[in-house]
Amino acid sequence: MLEEFQSFGRDLFLRGLTSSHGGNMSVRLGDRVLITRTGSMLGHLEEKDLIETSLDEMDSSVMLASSELIVHRAIYKNTSALAIVHVHPPHAIALSMVERDEIIPIDNEGSYVFHKIPIIQAELTTGSKEVAKLASAALREYKLIMLRGHGCFSIGAVLEEAYQWCSSLEEACRVLCYTRWLQNGMHTGAAGGLDLEYRKHVGDYQKW
Amino acid sequence: MNGWCGKILRVNLSRGESSIQDVEPALLQQFLGGRGLGAYLLFTEIAPDTDPLSPGNFLAFCTGPLTGTHVPTGGRSSVTTLSPLTHTVFDCNSGSQFGVRLKWAGFDALILEGAAPEPVWLEMTAAGCTIHPAQHLWGLEIPETISKVESKDGAAVCIGPAGEHQVLIASVMDDAGNAYGRGGVGAVMGSKNVKAICARATGPVSIAETDQFKFVDYEARKWLNASPRTSQGLPEFGTSVLVNLTNWYGVLPTRNFQQGEFEGAHSISGEELRDHHLTKRGACWGCPIACKRKTHTSQENGEGPEYETIYALGSNLGIDDFDAVIEANYLCNRLGLDTISMGATLSCAMELAERGFLKSDLRFGRAALLRQAVEDTAYRRGLGDELADGSRRLAEKHGAPELAMQVKGLELAGYDPRGMQGQGLLYATSNRGACHLRGNMLGPELLGVPKMVDRHAYRGKAGLEIVLQHSSAVIDSVGMCKFAAFAIGDEFFARLLSAATGAPYQVQDMLLAGERIWNLERLYNLRAGFTRADDTLPPRFLNEPLSQGGSRGGVVHLDEMLEEYYRFRGWTQDGVPTPAKIHALGLDLLAAQYPREAIHA
Repeated sequence: MLEEFQSFGRDLFLRGLTSSHGGNMSVRLGDRVLITRTGSMLGHLEEKDLIETSLDEMDSSVMLASSELIVHRAIYKNTSALAIVHVHPPHAIALSMVERDEIIPIDNEGSYVFHKIPIIQAELTTGSKEVAKLASAALREYKLIMLRGHGCFSIGAVLEEAYQWCSSLEEACRVLCYTRWLQNGMHTGAAGGLDLEYRKHVGDYQKW
Repeated sequence: MNGWCGKILRVNLSRGESSIQDVEPALLQQFLGGRGLGAYLLFTEIAPDTDPLSPGNFLAFCTGPLTGTHVPTGGRSSVTTLSPLTHTVFDCNSGSQFGVRLKWAGFDALILEGAAPEPVWLEMTAAGCTIHPAQHLWGLEIPETISKVESKDGAAVCIGPAGEHQVLIASVMDDAGNAYGRGGVGAVMGSKNVKAICARATGPVSIAETDQFKFVDYEARKWLNASPRTSQGLPEFGTSVLVNLTNWYGVLPTRNFQQGEFEGAHSISGEELRDHHLTKRGACWGCPIACKRKTHTSQENGEGPEYETIYALGSNLGIDDFDAVIEANYLCNRLGLDTISMGATLSCAMELAERGFLKSDLRFGRAALLRQAVEDTAYRRGLGDELADGSRRLAEKHGAPELAMQVKGLELAGYDPRGMQGQGLLYATSNRGACHLRGNMLGPELLGVPKMVDRHAYRGKAGLEIVLQHSSAVIDSVGMCKFAAFAIGDEFFARLLSAATGAPYQVQDMLLAGERIWNLERLYNLRAGFTRADDTLPPRFLNEPLSQGGSRGGVVHLDEMLEEYYRFRGWTQDGVPTPAKIHALGLDLLAAQYPREAIHA
């Protein structure tokens, strides 16, 4: 299990999906949760950085576990998720500051994988009950959500799956950002800056 | 109603009467339809101590809300009964067009109860059911029977001689190789003296939100088209594409699971089938994947075989003569036999004979005896009368129960669990016995769907297995095929379900329905007397490591996984759902209404 955390943690950091000490990951083992230590570096995880705690009950390990443990617990209790990744992908965060309710990817991979990414908002954005409630509710219907100004929470049956959604999210958001910059006059291209839509049913994506 | 019909057609064969009954929408929302509806009906109508072959048992053909709609793979339906083979809750799922016509006729279920005094066949339309005498059909094989009862606007299923003789591994089939295959559902139909049923209807299914439905359907097809499993592997080779793969992994059952690697695998592989036996590709109704095969040998033409049949009648019998395997498959299709249980019972007999427990000429590799053994089973002749009762009874009778590769009486599918720990847990915990279709770990353990996991690891497998068990209960209940899940995730099923019915299902609501169905099935089995002791595997998998191949050295670490599994499920370590779990799933009322179950729990 440690090897998986190390492998995906390193990739998350090296791909720029989170800062040196940001982000966290966990897996559910029945009524137990294995989560990264608060202040641990996802790019350099060691055995001491994995904290096992209860899914339901408070215990002394909360002193060591990630500050987002409350959110992870709520997600596990409300969904069938077996793994959670939370990171701070910069393009996705930037878009969450300018989009109202959702991000609609325009690239092929993002369209296939997500159709749309809901954005939730809270006043207290780190380790709060409010985020726990909103995120766990939204993840009953979606496999990844954005918390405005903060980052994403993704779920999967295994860590690799939850990692994949974060990676796809940031790529989709990067493409969206680049496209908008180009459309806003930096380079209009042969089409004169117009949308060259290639997808059928694109008007329906908001309803996903 | 949309998606669902809100109607059940009930036929009392003893009285020769039929009636149409309403179904509460809330019930359909809770149990989805198909397998879920069947589980509810069985739980509430059939006491577990009923003799499965008596008039007190029923057969409930159930459709799902997506059955007969034009979603990809939306041609599936199920039949539920108390199995005479396993004495568990039992449902079989099929892509036969019969289920589609049943749905188009406007029914969520067709229940056959009682028993006709003489052989009959049933003709059903939206108006109800007509019971016809069937003396002239009794004794006919499957294709002849179907040709005599099917009409242009209808689709039929029937039993063959195996069902008539109440062979405990008899199927209910159509003439295109589609079967409600396992658990002896054909024997139950035979015990009711019903030879065939034809459903006649052409109507479409009413959809609540057509635009959203079209959108999600379109998106689902994009994924099916993009996934190499559903757009290339299965269409190109059929399910037989797995033979070389499982052999390479060392999990292709060989000689009654004594080995996991077969030296003749290439001769019975998907590549061999495509290159030398393929006549035409085919598909179940409404399926773009098209994994079915019309095939031929030098002597005969027919349907199949599927991967499971190739394992059961090929490698597991030590037979690499593909013509013999294919023709034995054709014969099973004509006689109405479950090919998996037929093959696995024969492999048991072969090992019994080789070890001196059984006096018989049957031996591994003796392809020449295959045809006769299958026929004898269907007609209960000679040793066939013993084979007809499945491997567990056969091995017990001859004093070596450990040589039957079965769980709860159902013979194992074609994956040696010593190289797939999660599959071992699935076989042990599946509510209908050692079945691969109740949360198949083939995806994560061999194919990387949704992601590749360590197939030899056992810690952490319970959670994944449970998620898959719930997904499979959902897919069986809504009326789609599990192969769709090789390409599309749970969110697609939830959105299709919501758009079709108009009932707003979040993904997690839908999976909760899957968990509800699983637990209700479990509660039924507990009422029937099953305990943790039955959630096990043949000792071979727990104690005898494979000696060669890609899974050499492995045994199944079942106890460790089982403990985690029960804890994860919210069950006691005896495998009983706790009151809190029953409450969380909304099953309190049912549990209270059936006190024997409550006492047992």
